[in-house]
Amino acid sequence: MNDADEHEWQAQERALQAERLGLDATDDDARLRRYRLLARTLRQPLPDTLPLDFASQVAARLTAPPAEMAPVSGRFESILLGVLAGLLVVCAAVVLARDGQAWLPAIRATLPAADVQDLRWLLAFVGCLGCSWLLWQGPRRVH
Amino acid sequence: MAGRDLVDAVLAGRPGAFERLVREHQGLCWHIIVRLVRNPEDARELCQDTFLRVHRCLHQYRHESALKTWIGRVAYSIALRHLERRRIPIAGLEDDDGYAAIENVGGDFDLEAACADEELVRHLHAAIETLPPLQRMLLTLYYLEELPIVQIAAITGLAGGTIKSHLFRSRLRLRNALEAGKGVAV
Repeated sequence: MNDADEHEWQAQERALQAERLGLDATDDDARLRRYRLLARTLRQPLPDTLPLDFASQVAARLTAPPAEMAPVSGRFESILLGVLAGLLVVCAAVVLARDGQAWLPAIRATLPAADVQDLRWLLAFVGCLGCSWLLWQGPRRVH
Repeated sequence: MAGRDLVDAVLAGRPGAFERLVREHQGLCWHIIVRLVRNPEDARELCQDTFLRVHRCLHQYRHESALKTWIGRVAYSIALRHLERRRIPIAGLEDDDGYAAIENVGGDFDLEAACADEELVRHLHAAIETLPPLQRMLLTLYYLEELPIVQIAAITGLAGGTIKSHLFRSRLRLRNALEAGKGVAV
């Protein structure tokens, strides 16, 4: 800083001090009055503020359950799940369209031969699937 | 409650302690962040991120600086990273002396007599908004938060001389803009 800059800096600082102390401005020169106006403006509260309950909101986020703590990762997982399920359906449709004609006679051939024992196993398998689905649904309802 | 007691209370998980810590320092964080990023919505989110990080890292605080300074530093680094991600330059008028030269500033023109105070203040607010983020924030910390240059240096990691230079130039620029905006021959 040269002498002129130093002189200007002192004027800026004097104006700030005068505003902080609320001193009378009648004897100030034009430069000082401008810097005092600047100080007054800069000391005004900003128009935008944080919400009144900001502190409690932040504190509440810390005590929220993990599912609410990480909504972004939860959303990402469900999107990924949807995409993979869709991909699975598309793949199954493609394979069925390509090889379905060859499978049909083989399935028809086994159906009349299926006895009561086979039917029981089939029912047991469906029952297992149902139980698994119910167990999976339980915890989701709790959340 | 002193800073050390408050930190101990938060670390011990005492009810209401963290909320109190947030309440005592949210003003400083808001001023740092909103002056840097300008967008109030972004600033609110970044303020929240700041306090979540403060909570996560509070055990690393060694009381080497005031708690206020340490939290201010966290807020500053979070806002800075936000600006970097959006490729917004933080400082700008480092050497634009044409704008901030003392010779350019009007002398004895009685500006206050010429214009209503309210209009001048409005004009000044607009001029402050045109300042680069760093200068805007430094002015707010110095004038509104009334922080000394040493503490601002501790928060921002800038040298005291650099902060002084930014303050000097931005004040001169505002004084210049104030007079130029009113059609004063400079």
